[in-house]
Amino acid sequence: MRRIYLDNAATTPVDPRVLKAMVPYFSEKFGNPSSLHAEGGEAKEAIEKARAIVAGALGSAADEVIFTAGGTEADNLAIKGAAWANKKKGNHLVTSVFEHAAVLNTFKYLEKNGFMVTYVPVDREGIVKLDALEKAVTKETTLVSIMHANNEIGTVQPLKEIAEIAKKRGAAFHTDAVQSFGKIKTDVNELGADLLSVSAHKIYGPKGVGALFARKGIALEPLLHGGEQERGLRSGTENVAGIVGLGEATALCLKEMKREAARETRLRDKLIKGVLETRDSWLNGHAAKRLPNNANFSFSYVEGESLILYLDMKGIAGSTGSACSSHKLEPSHVLSAIGLSPEEAHGSLRLTLGRWTTETDIDTALEAIPIEVEKLRKMSPMAGMSASERERLSKQPHEHGNAC
Amino acid sequence: MAVNYTRKVMEHMSSPRNVGKIDDADGVGTVGNPVCLVAGTEIAANPEEKGIDSVLAGEKVLAHDGKYHPVIEGMSRDFDGATVVIKNRFGETALTPEHEVLAIRVPKTHKFLYARNKKTLNPEWVPAGELAKGDIALYARPLETEDVAELAVDTRPKKHDFKSKKTPGKIRVDADFLRLCGYYLSEGNLRDKTTKAYVGFTFNLKETGYADDVARIVSKKFGVEARIKRIPKRTTLVVEVNNVFIVRLFKALFGKGAASKSLPTAFMKLPAEKQRGLLAGLWRGDGFINYKIPRAGYSTISKKLAAQLKFLLLRQGIIPSVYVEAEKTIGGVRHRRAYRIHVGNRDSVSKLAEIVYGERITTAKPESNDAWCDEKFAYVPITGISTRKYAGTVHNLLVEDAHSYLTTSLTVHNCGDVMSLYIKVRDDRIEDIKFLTYGCGAAIATSSMITELARGKTIDEALKISRGDVAGELGGLPPIKMHCSNLAADALHAAIQDYLKKRK
Repeated sequence: MRRIYLDNAATTPVDPRVLKAMVPYFSEKFGNPSSLHAEGGEAKEAIEKARAIVAGALGSAADEVIFTAGGTEADNLAIKGAAWANKKKGNHLVTSVFEHAAVLNTFKYLEKNGFMVTYVPVDREGIVKLDALEKAVTKETTLVSIMHANNEIGTVQPLKEIAEIAKKRGAAFHTDAVQSFGKIKTDVNELGADLLSVSAHKIYGPKGVGALFARKGIALEPLLHGGEQERGLRSGTENVAGIVGLGEATALCLKEMKREAARETRLRDKLIKGVLETRDSWLNGHAAKRLPNNANFSFSYVEGESLILYLDMKGIAGSTGSACSSHKLEPSHVLSAIGLSPEEAHGSLRLTLGRWTTETDIDTALEAIPIEVEKLRKMSPMAGMSASERERLSKQPHEHGNAC
Repeated sequence: MAVNYTRKVMEHMSSPRNVGKIDDADGVGTVGNPVCLVAGTEIAANPEEKGIDSVLAGEKVLAHDGKYHPVIEGMSRDFDGATVVIKNRFGETALTPEHEVLAIRVPKTHKFLYARNKKTLNPEWVPAGELAKGDIALYARPLETEDVAELAVDTRPKKHDFKSKKTPGKIRVDADFLRLCGYYLSEGNLRDKTTKAYVGFTFNLKETGYADDVARIVSKKFGVEARIKRIPKRTTLVVEVNNVFIVRLFKALFGKGAASKSLPTAFMKLPAEKQRGLLAGLWRGDGFINYKIPRAGYSTISKKLAAQLKFLLLRQGIIPSVYVEAEKTIGGVRHRRAYRIHVGNRDSVSKLAEIVYGERITTAKPESNDAWCDEKFAYVPITGISTRKYAGTVHNLLVEDAHSYLTTSLTVHNCGDVMSLYIKVRDDRIEDIKFLTYGCGAAIATSSMITELARGKTIDEALKISRGDVAGELGGLPPIKMHCSNLAADALHAAIQDYLKKRK
């Protein structure tokens, strides 16, 4: 049975072309980029080439790109680095309620260390509330961090407007672009970002490597101290093969972006249209302002983890915001933030398309999903309502309090 | 995936046994995530607050979205242990520690002393056991409105009644009429005996303005002249209306006797703008506003009316406090148990003064505010948390669509996982057993497993199936999923208890 992998927001397979570019740097071209001899020079050249490619994709200068060991480290370096470096200027930071854990938990950590953090709410469609942000950013604020595209519901944030609000009050602006980089345009000057995080394994590159764009003149405090590599901001011998992989993956994404985005958007819209034909189901997040590869649904009376396991047995890999599939017993903070009740958040299904998703995959998924959902509903005591009640429910817009 | 299931669990999950419902079951056991409220907890139902144990399926209750939703099912189970008692200015609610409450967790650091900073925090569903004093409870403001333009008055005379003056058959529900209703709820009494029909409004001797207001409205709306009687001996001023149709109308709308007066549902749903008239009449009657402190208060011996008044005020964005005053005897006069509504928040008092007397209070200095309102919720601090031993039945409701409901003082969530087991018993043996469940993979697997374990067993044998047996039979469950195993065993025991109870 062909497996249908629809969890590309979690991670992606390494593209064979990327792997081919990486292989020589494990044993053949093994030099330490800091060494002065020919072996070192070769490695140095490779990482500088990768840096130029990533900088090109971001529209920045090459030396504004710092390689890290992944998106989480890039986020940590940006947030802790900027917060600590500007501590004398102010101790107020602003972020949103539905950031990725790498950002959210970094802020929680800073809160414990004497910083004051404001978490800006998001609306029902998963877009940050600009009026709330406007109020939150004060003269005391040194850093604003809002993600470019949400990892669960894929909504793309109006970064330009957000950056303007931050600039007006003299705060640095960081964005976590791990989900959007390589999929949609991420030009730092267009977006107005001072700091921007990317990761390789979301764009068909290897795991364990990422990068942070840090605009010249933005003060950062390093997290790691040592050999002063990467402008002294990230000590430690570079992960040369990984960095080459990131560079190659970026180049491929850039080359194919326009065509690939159009293709995925078409398949995604087909998927959304098909799934929503299932009764008592709806799309989470904004219908248009979302990543080309992201679809996130909720199904009444169905628990997400069960649905994932049932689909898995049919050869379809998806993911859920359900608490049952994670370490905690709380449902997704993202789905709660956009106003879903715990039941609705528990019944969610995220499907994310990738480079190798075909039309047949979507057709197969569309066949399987309603069947598995119905199977689970048959077991659910909550689905035991009369037909008329159900009809009434399905016609009702899902409106919920902003708090639950 | 963070959890790893054994092969046996996956097998039961992928093809669960005995799924379904037995319509003529001998015993049914429904368990939720063990989250419940103690019996007798008052729920904001439509139109009045009532005990959670007496809420029936199909009845509507107020949910966190400010709207009324029908109850799908009421559930109960026996409980013996510690409950959490949460107090705030609306009253107190006792619930099991896992029950989720809509609240804001406020970090206990000095920077969150000010409401301004508290407002930046986000509300979430918090298990009752994790709440602390100083956290903020959210209480939904009722938002459903339905206007009533006119009320029909039953003007059919009784047999042999030839002299009663006819009133108009329809009364427009406007500010004047609603103010009259307010006066009646606070100060009115009625007698509905034939030939002695009478509605009276009793004011203080000094309150001539209000007495005139009543007489004017009665004359304008009903075309009936009211008499104002001064009774200096009792320092009272009584407005008397002798008309059988008005008596009939007031009795039907608000009930008779101070202790049982209440507002009909239609009045609770009137647009907030119209309800201002009602509040004005009510407050002029039994309330006071002290401009100096400033503070306002209202006192009634009707429990229903007190609860309704709370919602009327919340709709205006006024945050009240509710106290119960125990029965007492002062100078030989018995004072019945009273419900006092207090308004102490300056902004709220000012809003109230505008409604009652048409003027706002201007306060010199801003206050450090500990409660606030937005369009959907009133945010009130939790003033006390304690644990209380409780043995008896605890209850929960399954509320359609909103999955939440309001008690006197909190917005609480309804059940989480739900599992129902149905058993059919013959000759003391479980002949058939089926389940329905809403939950994760483990919940499905444990339900399926327990039906396999219990089928064919005698009642005594089945009662011996323990919480651990289910997990053991499945080759173990991840620690975080152990509660599913407990749920399945509890559901079986509940079904058997139900069967034994029915057999008696």
